[in-house]
Amino acid sequence: MTGPLLSVRDLRKVFNAQAGFGRPSAGVRAVDGISFDVEPGETLALVGESGCGKSTLGRLILQLIPASGGQVMFEGVDLVHLGTRPLREMRRRMQMVFQDPFGSLSPRRSVADIVAEPIDSFGLAPSRKARREMVADLLHQVGLPSSVMDRYPRQFSGGQRQRIGIARAIAAGPSFIVADEPVSALDVSVQAQVINLMQDLQESRGLTYLFIAHDLAVVRHIATRVAVMYLGRIVEIGPKARVYAAPHHPYTQALLSAAPNPDPDIPKRQIILTGDVPSPSNAPSGCAFHTRCPIAQARCRMEAPELRPVGGGHQAACHFATDHPIPVPS
Amino acid sequence: MTAAVEDRPLLRVDRLSVEFGGPAARLRVVDEVSFDIEAGETVGLVGESGSGKSITALSILRLVPEPPSHLAGGRVLLDGVDLTTLPRDQLPDIRGRDIAMIFQEPMSSLNPVQRIGDQVAEAILLHQKLDAASRRARVLDLLRLVGIPDPSRRIDAYPHQFSGGMRQRVMIAMALACNPRLLIADEPTTALDVTIQAQVLALLRDLKTEFGTAILLITHDLGVVAESCQRVVVMYAGRVVESGPVRAIFRNPSHPYTRALLQSIPRLDEERRRLHQIPGNVPPPGPLRAGCAFHTRCAERLLRCATDRPPMMQLGGGHQAACWLAGPMAQAPMAQAVTP
Repeated sequence: MTGPLLSVRDLRKVFNAQAGFGRPSAGVRAVDGISFDVEPGETLALVGESGCGKSTLGRLILQLIPASGGQVMFEGVDLVHLGTRPLREMRRRMQMVFQDPFGSLSPRRSVADIVAEPIDSFGLAPSRKARREMVADLLHQVGLPSSVMDRYPRQFSGGQRQRIGIARAIAAGPSFIVADEPVSALDVSVQAQVINLMQDLQESRGLTYLFIAHDLAVVRHIATRVAVMYLGRIVEIGPKARVYAAPHHPYTQALLSAAPNPDPDIPKRQIILTGDVPSPSNAPSGCAFHTRCPIAQARCRMEAPELRPVGGGHQAACHFATDHPIPVPS
Repeated sequence: MTAAVEDRPLLRVDRLSVEFGGPAARLRVVDEVSFDIEAGETVGLVGESGSGKSITALSILRLVPEPPSHLAGGRVLLDGVDLTTLPRDQLPDIRGRDIAMIFQEPMSSLNPVQRIGDQVAEAILLHQKLDAASRRARVLDLLRLVGIPDPSRRIDAYPHQFSGGMRQRVMIAMALACNPRLLIADEPTTALDVTIQAQVLALLRDLKTEFGTAILLITHDLGVVAESCQRVVVMYAGRVVESGPVRAIFRNPSHPYTRALLQSIPRLDEERRRLHQIPGNVPPPGPLRAGCAFHTRCAERLLRCATDRPPMMQLGGGHQAACWLAGPMAQAPMAQAVTP
């Protein structure tokens, strides 16, 4: 082993909300001191509910938004403190796949122009002909015929668009891809096609993924390791098999218990959390989960728990972490 | 008449067909869809986008604008009364009182500049004669029933002050205002986080137990179906391909589409090396099709599947599938079909 591909240390992002309309100016700690490593060739899945900061974390890692503090070490280089030009060079090595890859793109650009964007911006094609050949090859790798090259985004279905988005992401030969909810908007039969494609590309190109998702069944299928986020922090991280078989944080336990299972014979032993996720602009004191936690005690209101090892490379941030599922409150 | 009345389901959708567009380009989006809902049961209507499940649901209450759509055939019987031929001015009596509906995105169904309490009260105002004080008391009861904390304060709040899960609870409170016998819920938890989805599904289950409200749950999520429904209707490209008790559908799926769908979803409880892929895409809506709508993507297709529309094969216990390969009777005629 040569060490991790990516090391995130104490990464922070504070959004300064505008004051006004009866609202005082307050910093929203969207990402609140996160540390983890990603090993080469693995898929680390980042799961959590809306507003937990998982998408912000993905964008911070690629420096698409500036960090408020901390380090992002990619192949030994700290991206947070890197100048604009060297950062641009590093971008060849890391790319992003979005939920709807065309949502932010001009509908008037052809598929060839979209896929070739990284090729053009890094000057990778010596000639027009070479560029077309590279695009054709990329389309082939994602299972599309090269004849789609001169067509436009609106002529494609959601699954085909995601294939085009993936072709663009691999165009400059990255080693690391942040995929932000890449299959959430797709129908189940198409979702399976895109998941299989991502796994095939990982194998053939040696890719490392940070896979951001909220669907626990999809994550169970694709991940090597899983990190669970709640209100800007990682509350549990570990190898997939361990996290799914023996979740230690009460939030992970509730999340897994709430996920509907497509089997009518599985008994519903549901831990149903009460209340909503608190707003990150007004995060609870101590452990941010204590307002919804079925086992919270006085200490949880005062003292924020740190991630601590629970065995087998598995960590949980809970004062009372245990692999015994919490009894269902009746 | 008497015996028939006893067996009558609460709602019978009988060979319902809905088309869009004029005679030049006629698109059939709902194609001879039939299913029953008994009083107090939860029926799941599942399918991918473009399967026609939402148009089917909207057509029950005649909420699809005509034109561009029109009813191309069939009936919708509520207690034996055909809603498709009812005069339009009688529909508001049915909507809200007998059948209520909730949608995926509660924010777009709520009026942003009207207080929550007034919006819930509106349904009561339309169908029940109550004075202002008793109406407010009834609204408070409803908000409490759907689990909105501190209802006496929240009753005067506006929709933007509520979270997504709380807004969906408000929608459910509005739907329940007049004790409907059928609640049509179109993807009610799709926009919600999983822990909030669990709360809303538990709420729907409680309501069914407590008030005997029948529920038509429209969803693309087979997990939600397995957890919440007694019976399932699977739609593909505007048609019902399979229907039956939930256990039969999940344990013994008998249409190749249902089988492929179940194999293509990642599972929480087991490791799958590679997901099953259904080749191709859902066909776009088109004119009335010959044969089976799934035959272009079906791994098990026969020659006749392209030309002969398979009838609903009865598989026992209310389980049925529209496939030439399904059912005990299929074997003999099928063998003939393979050899041209």
